Amino acid sequence: MKPKILTVDDSKTIRLIVGKAFKPFDVDVFEASNGVEGLAVASREKPDIIILDITMPIMDGSECLAKLKSNPDLKSIPVIMLTAESGRENVLKIAKMGVRDYLVKPFKEDLLIERVGRVIELKAKGEGIKKAKRYDDPLSVLVVDDKPAIIEQIKSAVADTPWTVHGRTQTGEAVDFCSQNLPDAILVSLTLPDNAGFTLFQMFRASAKTKATPVFGMCVKTASEEQLRAQQVGFTGVVTKPLDPDELKSKICRSLNLDTSYKYFQQREGVLVLSLPATLTPNVANEISLQLRPKVAEAVDSGLGKMVVDMGQLRVADVNLVRLGISAIQLCGELSLKHRLVGSSLVQQECRNYEETKDWQFVASFEEAVAALNDPMAVAA
Amino acid sequence: MPITPLMIADIEQLIGSCVTDVFGTMLSMDVHPAASSDPADPPSEAHVASAVGFSGVITGVVYIYTSSSFARRCAGSMLGLTDAEIDGDEMVNDVMGEIANMVVGNLKSGLCDRGLTCVLTIPSIVRGKFSIEPISSSERKVFHFTCESRPLLVEVMIKHSSERAA
Repeated sequence: MKPKILTVDDSKTIRLIVGKAFKPFDVDVFEASNGVEGLAVASREKPDIIILDITMPIMDGSECLAKLKSNPDLKSIPVIMLTAESGRENVLKIAKMGVRDYLVKPFKEDLLIERVGRVIELKAKGEGIKKAKRYDDPLSVLVVDDKPAIIEQIKSAVADTPWTVHGRTQTGEAVDFCSQNLPDAILVSLTLPDNAGFTLFQMFRASAKTKATPVFGMCVKTASEEQLRAQQVGFTGVVTKPLDPDELKSKICRSLNLDTSYKYFQQREGVLVLSLPATLTPNVANEISLQLRPKVAEAVDSGLGKMVVDMGQLRVADVNLVRLGISAIQLCGELSLKHRLVGSSLVQQECRNYEETKDWQFVASFEEAVAALNDPMAVAA
Repeated sequence: MPITPLMIADIEQLIGSCVTDVFGTMLSMDVHPAASSDPADPPSEAHVASAVGFSGVITGVVYIYTSSSFARRCAGSMLGLTDAEIDGDEMVNDVMGEIANMVVGNLKSGLCDRGLTCVLTIPSIVRGKFSIEPISSSERKVFHFTCESRPLLVEVMIKHSSERAA
């Protein structure tokens, strides 16, 4: 259930500002224009937090708070007081009223979000449905690096996706960007001057808006001290330079739980097809391996009984292919799936060099594989 | 308690910092002190005056004057809306009232910290071509600012509580 925020303020302006501040979050915001209305809405909605103004007509914030605290059903609702009066006496008075926190007007939206985020869990809108996102959905990636060349490299690395890279060379610019936008993933150089990358990471984690956003550190492979420190402080992961585009995309996909299975698994002509890409890096092999069992089980569950493992595009047969191929064939055996392997002559030749794969039988095309699978007299591969 | 030059200097300083703080934080606008012009000059454009009073050991009222077009600009900036999205004068009035409330709320905090305790009134708005004249027993102080090259005027009128009682 979405958290509920109640803003009680006679100023429509403040109510609008509060509503706008929490628009990016998966919350329901309720409004009341004075203490009497505030108590009524609080009784009806049982909000998770109340943002309460002090100076209001009909019933002011102090009286409203007293009534909230004397009501057994409402007394446990945390209240943040919003006041234009920051004098010592006023602050002391507020502190004695049993409020969770107070904010002095004028205030920045970010400060309000941060204070409310300390009391209730704020989740960005759409966070709960990220699992349904696909690799080919538009994503926003913030890159913070003082070297513009790295930002350009990352833009090139994801050029084959609909992702948008927002490069920022200064941490202040990155903070400004996040105050206006919510990136899906963030990459931060771990070697910014004065530990700025680590400081920025702490700021992202302290902000309700970005606390759940994956943040990757970037450094050269030999910077083991920075990598270790990044792991210790809780970075989502580390991407090493020189950047490997596949590794970068794979890490972002995993951190966001993006569905990439459609790139490798299709159903064609009543057959489940696993199409291996031209290059099977360890990351890609791992990605496919994780998807293999659920995708095959899903196919069997939907009535499919045949599978083709298409290695036709593969340029080289290496240990990654061997492991993945063995897993796929074993799984077909477990689930009683008929299967065929498609491979180029080069792959076929290389497979004969491995003890585990020397007996694999290949056909040259998908059509041949389907024909063989549909032939009741054919011998299993 | 008589109004002393020190008190006036304090209020001048407080008004300057409160106006700068409120416009900078809530509207992302820089406010600069400006040379005074003749407040008796009739306004060339209808303006909006937002007022909040304070009453206690020290009693008075603060008016913030802007042109109506600049008040609309302030509303858009504070609410993150385009001019077309601003829904009539009511929205602008509410924003200008809230700005006055924040400025005077902060002024009140400064006054209370100096022992000049007081409470605030609910904001009110006056629109049109007018000027506000003080009664003779009041101290009047006008502070001139510019914001985005537009004039912004803050007028403080103070009356002693003993005089008020009389």
